[in-house]
Amino acid sequence: MPLEVQGQSLNPLGLGSLAGLGRPSLLTALAFAAAGAVLCLLGARKARRDLSDAGIRASVAAAAFTVFATFCLLTAFFAHDFSIAYVASYSSRSLTGAYTFSALWGGMEGSLLLWALLLTVLGAIALRRASSAPRDLVAWAGAVFSSISCFFLFLLAVPADPFARLATAPADGQGLNPLLQSPGMLIHPPLLYLGFVGFSIPFAFGVAALLSKRLDDEWLRATRRWTLLAWSSLSIGIVLGGAWAYTELGWGGYWAWDPVENASFMPWLTATAFLHSIVIQEKRRMLKVWNLSLILLTYVLAVFGTFLTRSGILSSIHTFSEGDVGKYFLPYLALVLIAGIALIATRRDALSSENRLDSLLSRESAFIANNVLFLAAAFTVLWGTVYPIVNEWLTGLRLSVGPPFFNRAFIPIGLAIIALTGLGPLISWRRMRAAGLLRLLRVPLAIAVVVVAALGLGGVDSFGALLAFGLCAFTATAVGSEFVRGSRVHRRREALSWPAALSRTVARNRRRYGGYVVHLGVVLIVIGFAGGWAKVERSRELDPGESMRIGAYALSYEELRSSETPEKQVNDAAIRVTRGSEPVTMLHPQRNFHLASRQTQSEVAIRTTPLEDLYVVVTAVDADSAIVLRAFVNPLTWWIWAGASVMLGGMGVLMSGPSPVTVPVPAPRRLSHAAAS
Amino acid sequence: MRAIAAAVACLILLASPAAAAPEDIANDISNEIMSPFCDGVTLHDCPSQEALELRNRIEAWVSEGQSRTQIMSHLEREFGAGIRAVPPAEGAGFVAWIPPLVALAAGAAGAWAIVRKWSRRTQAAPRVSVTMTSEEGHRLDQELAMLRAAASREGEWP
Repeated sequence: MPLEVQGQSLNPLGLGSLAGLGRPSLLTALAFAAAGAVLCLLGARKARRDLSDAGIRASVAAAAFTVFATFCLLTAFFAHDFSIAYVASYSSRSLTGAYTFSALWGGMEGSLLLWALLLTVLGAIALRRASSAPRDLVAWAGAVFSSISCFFLFLLAVPADPFARLATAPADGQGLNPLLQSPGMLIHPPLLYLGFVGFSIPFAFGVAALLSKRLDDEWLRATRRWTLLAWSSLSIGIVLGGAWAYTELGWGGYWAWDPVENASFMPWLTATAFLHSIVIQEKRRMLKVWNLSLILLTYVLAVFGTFLTRSGILSSIHTFSEGDVGKYFLPYLALVLIAGIALIATRRDALSSENRLDSLLSRESAFIANNVLFLAAAFTVLWGTVYPIVNEWLTGLRLSVGPPFFNRAFIPIGLAIIALTGLGPLISWRRMRAAGLLRLLRVPLAIAVVVVAALGLGGVDSFGALLAFGLCAFTATAVGSEFVRGSRVHRRREALSWPAALSRTVARNRRRYGGYVVHLGVVLIVIGFAGGWAKVERSRELDPGESMRIGAYALSYEELRSSETPEKQVNDAAIRVTRGSEPVTMLHPQRNFHLASRQTQSEVAIRTTPLEDLYVVVTAVDADSAIVLRAFVNPLTWWIWAGASVMLGGMGVLMSGPSPVTVPVPAPRRLSHAAAS
Repeated sequence: MRAIAAAVACLILLASPAAAAPEDIANDISNEIMSPFCDGVTLHDCPSQEALELRNRIEAWVSEGQSRTQIMSHLEREFGAGIRAVPPAEGAGFVAWIPPLVALAAGAAGAWAIVRKWSRRTQAAPRVSVTMTSEEGHRLDQELAMLRAAASREGEWP
């Protein structure tokens, strides 16, 4: 919390504004990044380790100066240095300490600075830690990485200077958008950026593999944990974004297929395809071109998302700021895409698969089907996002593509992915007999049918919801049976109890079972989505003492309490919730006026249970204390957040697993039918 | 398997939507149109006062007995074709629906062709195969892990 003493601001950093040092620091970082790119390039081309090591040291220096520039901007925020335009636009004296910190990424310039910070720091760490990888691969990766850093530091130096000064400093700043004053906003953007930036590491090493012609699995091994870190951060960032929308925006939902949401979802989809297809490369030395193409696509989509949201070409409720940096992104994206495709094309012969498929019915085929579905899903989201622009450009007619389009086009693909999530683990690598698969399918299918029957007889009347719940039951059973089968082997061999056998099973193969835990988390999330079929919504104008009904609940509006804090005027509505004659709880939705930004903002109140959420929001207040109360009953929403937590646990198990070892591929031998059955 | 399929089909046939209240129909419609007052969100999700009033107008039209088609026509006349959140499945709007279907079909066909090609080549070569049940796979994994651990201790395996 910033303090004021006789007009002098004190801040928790214990320093005045160091903004004057920010721009020189950024320019120095840019110079070091450029030097790093050149030195690594020369080191790679001339096979001179001293040059590439100097290049990597230069990239570490670029990271250090970017860290210092970020620190300088933070001191400006905490010292209320409103001579800095960015500080004046996104903070105010009344902003609390945590949000003064998060104001750093409240606008475009700060977001790009955060991007550059994560990029340079993660890049420096990844390059320093890749000591076991071949030096030429690391040198090329250093050249690619420093080039990426140059682009983002150039943006900060020229079109998006976060240290630009105003001619006259205002007495107070405009404050942070009230929507961004939420605990979720303290971690959601950094996690998303960590995800986006994290994919730069496998991308840089993938391009380095192409440039150095080291087209084996070294680049995948060197970046496996980084890829998982990036994917996990993006996954959790997306879920936290949904949680933020749910608790802040007041429309009772968590996903609106907004262009900014889509911008984060597209690279997630291609990255998920990549995470699955690299398993085939590791195990069977196949799909090398495909994997390089996927990581190229993931990186391009991550940058494309930033272009979409920062260029202002698409309207979005999430676009809190925009500038003219968009025009720099298009040539950069074109360069990356063309150079990437050209490189892959020139190395195509060296990238051919070392093995072939033994059978159409095999785990490999399931992974390929998985990739087709994820790519089709990513394309659908991309097409829906850019279609309004394309159509207007071609026909002059402005059409919209909103959530109903995405739901209709995406949900069938999503359900097919869920089905495959259950089917995949049951299919063995290389070859499987149809009869063996059908035998394994019997129990999951039977349980799915029982669940669908029970829900259908219990009143679920939506075909989509029944299908989704049935597929979730199928997949959960199929994945769960893998844990049972694995544990049974340990139990028999080592005479362990079931919990100990389960623990041993997971510990022995953390990559596989961590993946399965993630899949179970996804199933729980889909159960939460499917609950939306029974969503109920009511809106009423209420005077104090009046009540309304929604579902089984009665909501009685008792009174409106008004108060004032340094940041806002608070209007707190007391809503008594009863169910039949039973009291349930008191909810306190608010309708507040933020003084610095002069904006009115609703604060929702939610009673959450695993069965359903009761969600209330005040959308209007008049002078007589009458309110417009909008209420929702959202069934099963709790499971979305529970599923995300399970996914997070699974990611932890996955990341704790060892990197794959290089296993010489033995000549395949046939197991006798007797041994196999 | 046939019994399972028949049971699912019966349940689907039995499932029939209940009659909806005017407010529910109005909510459905406001989910199908973009808000003229907020950027990039449906009318349902738009928090502005104008959006609230338009939602109330739609509910009033529903209560008067107007059909969804009539209400959508009202809205399109007042705010333009861009108010529809779903491009119409005709004219320029139809184009929106084609590429995702084509991409999925082309992706599936491409993957099928590659898988067939790869597996044909394998079949032309001397037949080698491994057929294991999932349980045997677990056992093999376990034994491989023990082998790796032993080899790693002896410094033979990285």
